Amino acid sequence: MKYGMVIDLEKCLGCRTCAVACKAHNGQPPGVWWNRVFTPGSKFHQTGVGEYGRMGMYFLPVCCQMCSNAPCVKVCPVGATYYDENGVVLIDYERCIGCRYCMTACPYGVRQFNWQDGKKATEKAHYAHGYSYGWPHKYRDKQGRLVYMPSRPKGVVEKCTFCAQYVNRGEAPACVRSCPANARYFGDLDDPQSEVSRLLTQRGEFRLLEDLGTQPKVYYLPARRSGGERIERI
Amino acid sequence: MAKQQKEDAPAFKISRRGFLKATAAAGALVASGVPALGLARKIGASEHAIEASMAGLKAVRTTCSPNCTGACGMLALVDNGQIKAIIQADDYPEEEYNPRGCLKGLSFLNLIYGPDRLKTPLIRTGERGKGEFREASWDEALDYVAGKLKEIMGKYGPESVGVAFQVGGTGYVHKGAVAALAAQAGWSLHHAYDQNGDLPMFWPMTFGVQTEELEPLEWLNSKYIAVFGSNLLATRVPDAHFLVEARQRGAKFIVVDPNYTPTAAKADEWIPIATSSDDAFGLGLAQVIIEEKLYDEAFIKSYTDLPLLIRSDNGKRLRANEVSGAANLPAPDYREVFVVWDGGPRSVNPQSLEPVGNPALEGEFEVALKDGGRVKCKPVFQLLKEKLAASYTPSRVAGITGVSQETIIRLAREMAAVKPLHIVYGASNYQWYHGDLKGRALALVTVLTGNIGKPGAGISTYAGQYRIRFNIGSWWFPPDKKPNWVPFLYVLHGPTPDMKAKLPPNGIKALLFGWGNPFDQHNMSNKMRKMATGGDFELIVAMDFQMSTSAQWSDVVLPGVTWYEKTELVASPVHPYVQIQQPAIEPLYECKPELWIIRELAKRINPDFAGHFFPELDVNQAAEKAIELMLQKGGEAVAGITLADLKKGPVRLKLPAPGHRQIPFYEQVNEKKPFPPQSLPAPLEKTAALVKSGRIEFYREEDIFRRLGEELPVHKPPFEDTEYRLNPGAREKYRLALITRNALYRVHSTHSNNIWMNELQDLKPRVWLSPGEARQRGIEDKERVEVYNDRGRLIAYAVIDPGIRNGVIIFEQGWWSRYTEGTAYNSLTYPFIKPTHEVYFVPGIWSPNTCWNECLVDVRKAGVMA
Repeated sequence: MKYGMVIDLEKCLGCRTCAVACKAHNGQPPGVWWNRVFTPGSKFHQTGVGEYGRMGMYFLPVCCQMCSNAPCVKVCPVGATYYDENGVVLIDYERCIGCRYCMTACPYGVRQFNWQDGKKATEKAHYAHGYSYGWPHKYRDKQGRLVYMPSRPKGVVEKCTFCAQYVNRGEAPACVRSCPANARYFGDLDDPQSEVSRLLTQRGEFRLLEDLGTQPKVYYLPARRSGGERIERI
Repeated sequence: MAKQQKEDAPAFKISRRGFLKATAAAGALVASGVPALGLARKIGASEHAIEASMAGLKAVRTTCSPNCTGACGMLALVDNGQIKAIIQADDYPEEEYNPRGCLKGLSFLNLIYGPDRLKTPLIRTGERGKGEFREASWDEALDYVAGKLKEIMGKYGPESVGVAFQVGGTGYVHKGAVAALAAQAGWSLHHAYDQNGDLPMFWPMTFGVQTEELEPLEWLNSKYIAVFGSNLLATRVPDAHFLVEARQRGAKFIVVDPNYTPTAAKADEWIPIATSSDDAFGLGLAQVIIEEKLYDEAFIKSYTDLPLLIRSDNGKRLRANEVSGAANLPAPDYREVFVVWDGGPRSVNPQSLEPVGNPALEGEFEVALKDGGRVKCKPVFQLLKEKLAASYTPSRVAGITGVSQETIIRLAREMAAVKPLHIVYGASNYQWYHGDLKGRALALVTVLTGNIGKPGAGISTYAGQYRIRFNIGSWWFPPDKKPNWVPFLYVLHGPTPDMKAKLPPNGIKALLFGWGNPFDQHNMSNKMRKMATGGDFELIVAMDFQMSTSAQWSDVVLPGVTWYEKTELVASPVHPYVQIQQPAIEPLYECKPELWIIRELAKRINPDFAGHFFPELDVNQAAEKAIELMLQKGGEAVAGITLADLKKGPVRLKLPAPGHRQIPFYEQVNEKKPFPPQSLPAPLEKTAALVKSGRIEFYREEDIFRRLGEELPVHKPPFEDTEYRLNPGAREKYRLALITRNALYRVHSTHSNNIWMNELQDLKPRVWLSPGEARQRGIEDKERVEVYNDRGRLIAYAVIDPGIRNGVIIFEQGWWSRYTEGTAYNSLTYPFIKPTHEVYFVPGIWSPNTCWNECLVDVRKAGVMA
């Protein structure tokens, strides 16, 4: 089993619902976003690029690319960042020492550092007393590694886990479930009959910064610009 | 409170096998409150057991219902009495509607638990607008409000109490309670449809209805989709995917808009058009369609007023009872028998749309009258053809719109040939002084081509979602109590010579509102603030769950609840489902469902009034009773639907088209019933009187229309009848049209304070302008700027956007004024009233109506914040 994700840029509306679902279900404190959606080439999201009359705009969701040859795994001095049995890159919060080598190594900029305890960071938003959000239970993988907890401690790095706590329950990651455009697909890349595998034979998929050899397991199906021009590469 | 929740939730310890088995029966799980988190988007599960203890965890299905009216089914994940996360319920019978919900709905927990949440009733201690309050008990606050209201009712008459509860479809029970108390007490109700400027007046003028629209699932049946001035990707997030999918299925999709939007980016073509010239564009399309005989002749003869004869002597329709020898057909008072030329004058039955004979569309005919005279007449079609040929040829329209002649001709041919055609006519387009003319012009394109009453065809607005879906009189308007509607625009503007509505003789002296934020969001919010500080309003009462700007301006703040804390019924125009809200958590703090608040107020104002609100029951039980009452008495659309059904999940309204699809005018076109279909809650005779021929009408014979040259749809440029008339100097001084569009990140002003939404916008309100306009003023990207005119000012940060047309500046409406340094975008607007909107008064249907975009400003650098 090799989990992967396919994101259809033709369908993506740039609405950022995925980013919000991710944030809520994974208890990310203010300022932390594991999942982002950009308008490539534009300084402001959902603002076009070009000249009046000849404009273009498309949207690019970016979460952890779940590389099969992940620079973050290679540089982690303590083995806190690792591949699980399904090829998912996870962080063991009990092992991470916060050295942030992985953040430097990651070419996609998807890792964030907890300068502060997650709970304390969230308190700064002045929620109701005693309130916290996110899936409320810890999740440990088969080996007992702590890869999800509703609030992460100060001094660890965090990122997308493909919603380890949900996938384990037989549910798709929050971003996939919540996408109002059904632009995201999740499943087993090893299974040729899976939806994700079938999508990859159809539309000329690409991956981000493929030339680096990171071999991401997040694939993108290209968008068309107005007038039918195809976006080949990011 | 938490303890109670815990006891209610069944213990949940279950093996993986059991879990997977359980998820198969998702509907039942939702109803019983057992975690049903796995019911959506299943993937192959991994092999080991669930570790975490699930005690205290449950999922509750409710309906998200802010004023977008999207009515998206949501699951709240509740752990020990707290909502930990929200996700779409994913339970609509048509898979295409799943998952329905957006970033705002999923981040709503920031508002439920956020720092602006109200905790207790508040009574003002400082000056109005300063936000200084003391906490009060419910008894004290309610006694105070009831006492003041009684005093004002005694002194000025009960109609001096003005009440506003925004959009009924988002909550029939609690908003209905407000209406029911107002009706019993004789208060004035301010209809949100005209208050918000959302009422597209072409609907009553052309079709005799409030608003109609295709349900978005029907977009998949369209082969041509033309969007005018609507950014569906931001304003209809749960439905926008249908645009992409329709295109993938081969539909052509174009966006006509002065500005390049995300919606335009998804289209086959973006047609940049001069600001507020869509009426000319539509008329140009119609001219080509008529000139090249591309219209559906049988359709327009049967369903429209285009064959009806117009007298050349007085510009009125020829009536059968004027014509010598014309048959006198029976007709109710609200319809009239008009005449066509079919080898001679022939009366037209306004009670049926069955085609009869072959009426002439073109020509001039002399008709003998009963009084012995003769009068020359032409069919409406002939007059229209002449008008279009004289003023709206492609070359002329190219000059007005900036769209090339070739493009106009090409698009007209395409739109006439490719069926079904669906036009989306958005609020950026119609919220102008002459917005009605644009709607009439674009409706002409769909009607000429026969694209009405058929799957995937029609014209839709998708803004201003006020239509009620079934009869609600049993709950909203107690027996023998009539609502007293007063357009709010008159409260701001004062009376006009043509006014048909009645203003209270002593004006509005008390303002009681809920589910709204008028001190930011209403036209002339600065005037409202002056009316507050100047004492015009003797009492201001807000019901809200948050300390909004308007709550800050109130004398008493009564803390209500969110839709995760109460029982409610939802059915909105855009989404053809009846759904309920059920409490996922107990009300926070001392907050109370609005029905409870209204019931308590009723008891104190007149104990007789309280009897209507099931005073003997707990508020959630009372709400269930109200739901049962409305379902039982709701008529065909909800016939046979019970509360028990709704507890299992969403239920499609029983609409007349096959599959209960929402296809406007299906019965008119397919069953030949006369126009209009009823617009609830107005009685049919009120709206039928707006289209007396029983047909789609493009000719308005009323004197005001004729005085203004608007008998037929025409193009009128923006600002001439408004800003330039108010101040001729504005022509030189203020050269930017201020368009206040909706943001991806807010539902009007709801979510203005949502921390995640604000992070996604880098915490700053923005204005968008073109590189050219920015350069002229020396404005740099991200710079703090001031938008201003003689009326007001607004502080925001510049986005220099090459997709914005010169002469335009855009602000995304809804920011609470604390985010714009105390300035308010509605200090810039003005309550212009168009006389044609006063020809009749049918509340929320034909009524004067705010035109936000009819607003000229300029912008300058504002320096760094002091």
